[in-house]
Amino acid sequence: MAKQLSREQGITLRGSAEIVAEFFSYGINSILYQRGIYPSETFTRVQKYGLTLLVTTDPELKNYLNNVVEQLKDWLYKCLVQRLVVVISSIESSEVLERWQFDIECDRSAKDDGAPRERSQKAIQDEIRSVIRQITASVTFLPLLETTCAFDLLIYTDKDLAVPEKWEESGPQFIANSEEVRLRSFTTTIHKVSSMVAYRIPFLD
Amino acid sequence: MSQEWNEWELSKENVQPLRKGRVMSTLQEALAQQETSSHTAIQQQKQEFESEIRFYSGDDPLDVWNRYIKWTEQTFPQGGKESNLSALLERAVKTLNEQQRYYQDPRYLSLWLKFGNYCSEPLDLYNYLHSQEIGTSLALFYVTWAEALEARGSYKKADLIFQEGLLRKAEPLDKLQSHHRQFQARVSRQTLQSLEEDDDELEESNLGASEPQRSSLAELKGKGKKKVKAPISRVGDALKRKFTSQRVSNCPGFAVFDENSVVTAGAELPVLTPQPWAAPPATRAKENELKALDMISLLPFYPRSSTDSGAILQSVLPGFTPYVEESAQQQIMTPCKIEPSINHVLSARKPGKEEDPLQRVQNNQQDAQEKKEQPMYCKEKVYAGVEEFSLEEIRAEIYRKKAKKRREEELQAIAQKKTEIQRKFEEMEKVVKEKQDVQCQQSYGQVISKVNHLHTESSFVYISLLIELLLESAVKQFQKSVNLIYLLVMEGALIFVIYRGTDQKWQVNLKICLNLFAGELKWHVCVKLIFLSLSFPAGHTQTGARRPLAIRKPSDSLTAKENLPPESCDELNGIEPLTEDPIVTGSYKNKTLCPNPEDTCDFVRAAHLASTPFHGIVEQRAQLPTDPEEALKEEFSESKSTSLSQQTPISEGTYNEALCIKKLSPIMEASQEDTSSSGSSASSVSSLTQISTMKYLQISEKLELAQSPPDEIAIATEDNAEQRKELLYPLPELLTTCPDFCLETSSVPLIELGKEIDLGNETYCIKQECWISDDYKIFFAVQVNFAQVDSKGFAIKVFSQPVPWDFYITLQLQDRLNTEFDQNFSENCSCILYRDGCVVLHREINHFTLWDIIQHCKTIPQEVIVLVVHNLLDVVLKLHKAEIILGDLRPEVLFLGDRICDSFANADLTSALKIVDFSHSLDMKLQPRVTSLNSFPVAQTQYGQQMLAECSLPYQVDLIGIADIVHLMLFREHLQVYQEGSQWKIKQCLSNPTDGDLWSQFFEKILNADGKSTVPLLMELREKLNGMFDSSFPERLCDCLTSLEELFKLEDIF
Repeated sequence: MAKQLSREQGITLRGSAEIVAEFFSYGINSILYQRGIYPSETFTRVQKYGLTLLVTTDPELKNYLNNVVEQLKDWLYKCLVQRLVVVISSIESSEVLERWQFDIECDRSAKDDGAPRERSQKAIQDEIRSVIRQITASVTFLPLLETTCAFDLLIYTDKDLAVPEKWEESGPQFIANSEEVRLRSFTTTIHKVSSMVAYRIPFLD
Repeated sequence: MSQEWNEWELSKENVQPLRKGRVMSTLQEALAQQETSSHTAIQQQKQEFESEIRFYSGDDPLDVWNRYIKWTEQTFPQGGKESNLSALLERAVKTLNEQQRYYQDPRYLSLWLKFGNYCSEPLDLYNYLHSQEIGTSLALFYVTWAEALEARGSYKKADLIFQEGLLRKAEPLDKLQSHHRQFQARVSRQTLQSLEEDDDELEESNLGASEPQRSSLAELKGKGKKKVKAPISRVGDALKRKFTSQRVSNCPGFAVFDENSVVTAGAELPVLTPQPWAAPPATRAKENELKALDMISLLPFYPRSSTDSGAILQSVLPGFTPYVEESAQQQIMTPCKIEPSINHVLSARKPGKEEDPLQRVQNNQQDAQEKKEQPMYCKEKVYAGVEEFSLEEIRAEIYRKKAKKRREEELQAIAQKKTEIQRKFEEMEKVVKEKQDVQCQQSYGQVISKVNHLHTESSFVYISLLIELLLESAVKQFQKSVNLIYLLVMEGALIFVIYRGTDQKWQVNLKICLNLFAGELKWHVCVKLIFLSLSFPAGHTQTGARRPLAIRKPSDSLTAKENLPPESCDELNGIEPLTEDPIVTGSYKNKTLCPNPEDTCDFVRAAHLASTPFHGIVEQRAQLPTDPEEALKEEFSESKSTSLSQQTPISEGTYNEALCIKKLSPIMEASQEDTSSSGSSASSVSSLTQISTMKYLQISEKLELAQSPPDEIAIATEDNAEQRKELLYPLPELLTTCPDFCLETSSVPLIELGKEIDLGNETYCIKQECWISDDYKIFFAVQVNFAQVDSKGFAIKVFSQPVPWDFYITLQLQDRLNTEFDQNFSENCSCILYRDGCVVLHREINHFTLWDIIQHCKTIPQEVIVLVVHNLLDVVLKLHKAEIILGDLRPEVLFLGDRICDSFANADLTSALKIVDFSHSLDMKLQPRVTSLNSFPVAQTQYGQQMLAECSLPYQVDLIGIADIVHLMLFREHLQVYQEGSQWKIKQCLSNPTDGDLWSQFFEKILNADGKSTVPLLMELREKLNGMFDSSFPERLCDCLTSLEELFKLEDIF
């Protein structure tokens, strides 16, 4: 896919889906690392988007994420996804502590005409980079996760979509009394991803 | 992606992460403020916290500190010097240290733990907390401690801490347990990993072995010596951990491991056997002690010196000494900011000088224990927070607090009083319902409704009004039931007294009255007091009524009076005399009528005011030829005609004397019948003398008032009314012979909005209240049994004095103007003179007033303004020609004429207004010498006060009135003027280019007419306006009027 894009001939729907899925792969990894969901020893450094990112080396997690991303890519290509949410909840109390929400807007017209869009790969990468940077920088305001946490991935799709195997339907898992912070967004002109993080209001304790 | 919500990202490095996270809005705000450097809001908030700390009166001072610290954390994201968080935490833990009850409070513990982050050696702090039993029952304490130890690689110790926590069942236990489990998992993983990587590590560490070792040795030796090494100070936990883990892994062969284990072993001791931390740490105490010794040794004769020093010496020797740098010096922490200009050279911080805040806290405690000196000022308040408060600030705060409390108390008292009054009225209402017929209830209901209406203020006016209302209704009901009056007035007294009761002086009085009231037998005494105090008019009924009412008790109460316990009389006599100086010297003259609780004279005067209508009644009665006591009237006129200079001193004398004799209630002092009632019974005193005394008093009062400054409105108008009464007595033939004039012996019927009333032979329905003032009301009414053809109706004016002044002026105008008496005036009016008032009925009046236009039109069309002003000038011109001054021009009572209201009106018809209200008018033929203009309402307005000089001609008043009306129509607000040179100008700017010129000229002329005759000026102004009436004017006006009509239809009440 990198080759495809490097040809600088514009963005196709498939290419866009791949870029977005890739972003999610790295983005989720970043969140898992930054928020300490998995021990930091289980991560390894890779260079991506001109940044040093950390991706998991845990084989199970890797496998899980790959599955999800593959499924996501398919849906992105079909323009069926509306939102992806990373829910971080305490293992002990199963209380939702953090909620990373990525809203995806699909330009369905791209599905029909199939004509590639004019947008340089670099511009998209820059945008993605700033989103990931923000994820990293969010420690400035996010509360410390003091208990061991687990994460869940929620994907909002069109209603009529059949739930695939190994997936199940879920509630939105909102946080009551949450503080919400909008993060940057990026667009491939076909998919627009805007991100947001919600966490418990610090003063309510 | 707007910039504003990404601001935090730009300074993410400058934001300290918090355990609890940050509120984004606060963070953004703080960062934005930091840029603009507008710290005022923050400073203010900080100041609030600071003062709250000092003046907190609740039982949880920790809460204030907690909030303050949380706020500081959120507001100063960078932390740093500005936030002063470390000092703040230090102060907080220090201050609250005395409060044992907080020791197991998680909030207090979290303060300590936060404070620990600012200590150079948090482990010492944990030890200290442990020894002091602070937070030892809380899981958080052990978790934090263990984490700190873990970060340093002391896994064993960390585990020990966890064990102890579990042993002590620290709450919440499950949290502690889970942390412990995680800790164990981490440790085992770490060990496993390190074993795996052992070989690589060994190689690596072999390469760089010398360096870490050396640096750690260097640190032990002291940083100051090796300056090159000093900057390599390892701060981060990760580094430390790495460092220690390396050491741990490398340990077997090296001496460092030994040392580490030794430290571990040593530090285990305090965990298990807490050290006596109460002992002062070495350095500071040593210095202190040395000094003390010196001083003591200088005074060998001092007997206690040796024991003292010995005690100190003993206490200074601690069982455990925290590690302290030798070079450490005491640094006195001053919260004041150092001027950056002085301190502009950056110098390297000498690490040795840095003092551990923990130590300071401990020292402080020791100091507190040893403290012998006692500050003779509120030191704890001055230094309570982080900032230093000045004594003035503290005083101001205390004052503010007191004032607030006082205010609250007052409000509460008022509320209480209100409910009490309410209750009383309810009771009264019940009684009235039981006892009285329908009419009685009606009038009573009015009183109550009025009182309810007024219940917002417990002011003086309120009370005097209340009394007035009560008396009014009492008079009305008098002939029907004597009992009721007593009750009513008694209630009045009660209220009166309760009101004054807040004032300390009058407390006794209140008690007596309440006592009296409580004992049913004695109530008449109360009644008597009140009748005396309110100068109840002597006569209501035809015969024998001139005796004070107090004696007219129900037959059965005669005995009751004798049964009065003597002590209550004594009590009455025992009341301390009030300051009567102001009354004697007449110093109250310069005061307005606003309530002044200190000034008893206000109170006294209000009693006069409250009873004013009854003076009128007395006089009127005297004037009536049917009055059997015409002789009395003669007496009056005689005393009036005799020179006042002779009479006054005498009457004043009696007045003062009366005041001196009577030391009863303040109400008593106001009495005009003091002399007569000073005995237990007033019946022996002849009614004649009483009344004449009263009259003298009135005269003397009037004399005072004649010299009174302008703000005594009420009295000025009263003066005016008196004058009119004199002028219209006997009723001029002009009036009595007029077919539209009629004399009634009854009192004025009650006229209320929405009610129907009978006047003459017709029944009218009151549709609207046009104007309500103290002594007159103007209503708009329609005839009940009459089909309404147009919007015309009746204007009914009710005057509370039995003086048909309006009607008189109207008749005079008719007479003087002859043919010029046109539609601008009410051609068709009649007057009914009642015993206690006067009603004037104007027929064929349009429903709307100028006020309706001003209120409902956003901008009044220029044509309408021109028309109205032209007409107004015309009317005033006519009046002035007839030597009558209108005195008061109000849009509310300027009814619109046919020219505006009637759409079919003839174009050459000029009457745009109809003048019906002559309440404040003056007949210059009759009253050529007007002493002051203060009786005019204009004189009470700001512009009036500015513009009316002492010497102004009364005609001037009307000019200002016109100017105000024009101003109102142009700008929808009252006239505002200022003086430029000798010229008066309006503050508003005339923006309209076409007419602006016209109006600015108009104002220039009309405002600067002082001294000139008004007639030519008015003519000139009218001529100027004539210029506006060009050929297209009627057409334009017609358009405007149709739009006005639309407006009126919308709000038409018919």
